Amino acid sequence: MFCSARIWACVAVAVLLGACAPKTPPASPAPAGAAKPAAAGPGAGAAKGDRVIRVVRNVGSREGFQKHWDAWKAAFEKANPGWTMELVNVGDSAGTEFYQSRIASGDLPEVIQTWNLTKHLADNGHIVPLPDDYYTKFGLPLPTPYKGKRYATMGGLQVLGMAVNRKLWASIGVTEPPRNFDEFAAGLDKLAAQGARPLTYGAKDWCASVPLTFLLHANLYPYTTGDPEPDKPSFTLLRDQGKATFAADPVANRVLEKVIGLVGKYAGKGVLSDGYDEGKRDFYGGQSATWIMGCWIGGDLEPNNVSAEVAYWPLPSVEGRAPIFVTSSSMQTGWAITTSAVGEKQAKALAVCEALYDPAVYQLWLNGEAMLPTATKVAGVTGPKTEHVAAKGFVADMAANVKKYGTTRGGYRSLEDQWPQGFEDACMRLMQTVLTGEKDVPKLLGELDKAWDDARKSK
Amino acid sequence: MKRRRRESLVSLVFCGPAIALYLAFVIGPALLGFAYGLTDWSGWSGGGQASDLGAALGGLARLDGGAARAGCEAFLGAKFVGLANYAELAHDPVFANFQSVTAFRRSALGFTLFETLLIVLTFTFGAMVLAVLLDRVKHRVGLVRGLFFYPFVLSLLVSSLLFLYLGNYREGAINKALAWMGLSAWQQDWLMSPTWAPWTIFALVAWTSMGFFTTLYLANLQAIPEDLYEAAALDGAGPLAVFRAIQFPLLMPTVLTNSVLALINGINLFGQVVVTTQGGPGTQTFTLGYYIYHLGRLNNRQGYASAVSFVVFVLLAAIAIVQATALRRRQVEL
Repeated sequence: MFCSARIWACVAVAVLLGACAPKTPPASPAPAGAAKPAAAGPGAGAAKGDRVIRVVRNVGSREGFQKHWDAWKAAFEKANPGWTMELVNVGDSAGTEFYQSRIASGDLPEVIQTWNLTKHLADNGHIVPLPDDYYTKFGLPLPTPYKGKRYATMGGLQVLGMAVNRKLWASIGVTEPPRNFDEFAAGLDKLAAQGARPLTYGAKDWCASVPLTFLLHANLYPYTTGDPEPDKPSFTLLRDQGKATFAADPVANRVLEKVIGLVGKYAGKGVLSDGYDEGKRDFYGGQSATWIMGCWIGGDLEPNNVSAEVAYWPLPSVEGRAPIFVTSSSMQTGWAITTSAVGEKQAKALAVCEALYDPAVYQLWLNGEAMLPTATKVAGVTGPKTEHVAAKGFVADMAANVKKYGTTRGGYRSLEDQWPQGFEDACMRLMQTVLTGEKDVPKLLGELDKAWDDARKSK
Repeated sequence: MKRRRRESLVSLVFCGPAIALYLAFVIGPALLGFAYGLTDWSGWSGGGQASDLGAALGGLARLDGGAARAGCEAFLGAKFVGLANYAELAHDPVFANFQSVTAFRRSALGFTLFETLLIVLTFTFGAMVLAVLLDRVKHRVGLVRGLFFYPFVLSLLVSSLLFLYLGNYREGAINKALAWMGLSAWQQDWLMSPTWAPWTIFALVAWTSMGFFTTLYLANLQAIPEDLYEAAALDGAGPLAVFRAIQFPLLMPTVLTNSVLALINGINLFGQVVVTTQGGPGTQTFTLGYYIYHLGRLNNRQGYASAVSFVVFVLLAAIAIVQATALRRRQVEL
């Protein structure tokens, strides 16, 4: 009896405590046109109800990104006294996992980095459109709309090409970008004959896919820098309609044959143990002559105190066309405001996005990413600025070559006309398979077709 | 009557929270996982409201299939596709490829079963032999046993990273040691070679968990009455005879426990693969767990991933039941 009395007393205390627990205030109503707001969920943190805007940024261990974040936060907090910008540090490859778990718990941060996830986020009503005057105010070219709407901030001109060690290439008499793939391969042969390591290539992680994907972008698509022409459907659209396949496409076949030849000849044994970090170490250390990689590597030259002279060249064509850079900048990738930002927070989230174009912030953004500017109305910002010799040389060379050779969108045409998410991962795995000895091009491209179809099954 | 009711209430108070937690965090998600396996959920749509579930249940109560389905789809945030995911799984070569023995071994199911077989054999019989040997150690018993148990104390991340560094082709300690011994021709890409990766992953699992399984056997060995050994000694039994006639039969309960635990370890092999090979080269070290993760995280196909999970659950349960039944029968015979 005594025992059960105690138990009932405990139950009564627990019920009493539950009844006295503070109630969560109702969220402010969402603005008209916005999707259903995400409810507060576990892990929201005490600061959530305060004057705090949580922002996802892939700072990681990159010094340039940290500097950009610090300046961005300072600019926002100065312009919005009493408000704080809180960093949610998420790595590029962890974006999907992080957002999906936060969506499940109804707790997306107010401003998020979208990477290539904009479509999924927009389709499922997690981000809200930005007004057009947001872009025009800073002189940004309007990104191609998705279902009539624009969601993401725009950074600068991100180009994909190849970084070369100028001194090593000059030692074989090559000082200008090769005119086509065969000329490029001949250069690599000469470098190898001289005892130099011609190519940096790591196949342990996502870098494995880079030569293949860059060359597919540069060769499978027409050289158009403007909006996609509606009467000329891209390879992406033809592939989605079943009117083209990688296995049946002669250009895709040639690209894969060339890439297999490239890695077969120059990748070297044990390359499956190497990834981006090993590649960076080799190339920055001056041990290798060429690294097919995006322009962001220029942003790491100064923090890594690279002394080698680095040039940035366009991608050679396997089709006899002129070399060209690929750009993904017309896509809506950047930061977007989520449906978690309701009431006053929505205006402040927009202020966070506007602070990106504060001159000091934008300058550090371009420096960190080694990007050429696209915002024309940001006072005093004309491009990445640095006194570091290698970084300065890289930026000057890239700017001159972009002007001379131009850019193409490749498969990065618009959110409605882009590769399925996860397809790059399939390309990475395909290249790893190549390195284990599989060289059957039609079979490999058939696997790529299957991977494309599988990736498209996700809505 | 009153007393029984009171006892029931007391039981409810004590067991209720545990049952509620189990329902909320084990049974509920398992049922939801099965439900998601019948949808095309990408993982990007948010969960529905309780009112959606209410609408679904209301539809069911009214025998209104349309309303029930609409309510279910709203609650799950996905479109109902029936058994389409299971039909796709039947022809998925990454999950199971029956074209050849090599193709099967390199599919997620084949690779997982291969690793599981190695793990079950090692942790069931290898650990038993090791325990019997350790039981005979008379000096520095704690230190010797501790050395074997130590890797189990390390976090899975630490031990996997350790193997990642050991197995690196250019910088790894194994290849460095081989080069130092003049055996450069034996150097391998231990974690990314299709030939060696399965064995390296197995070595990692064995190194990490052998101590734990051995400890279970050691505990059982300590419980064997000393007079049985004395009687065997009087009969002139040697170590092998003692093992066969005394230790092995009395270790059978632990054999059952260890083999089931090892089976679960093998089928659920995941973390080691994430850290070391990420399923590579290609998809050749995809385990079932890693494939589910890959589908959900990279391909945004949580519905399909849920269907794969359910099939794996059924597979694991079936194997465990067969294994437990067979071992119990053997135990009774002995």
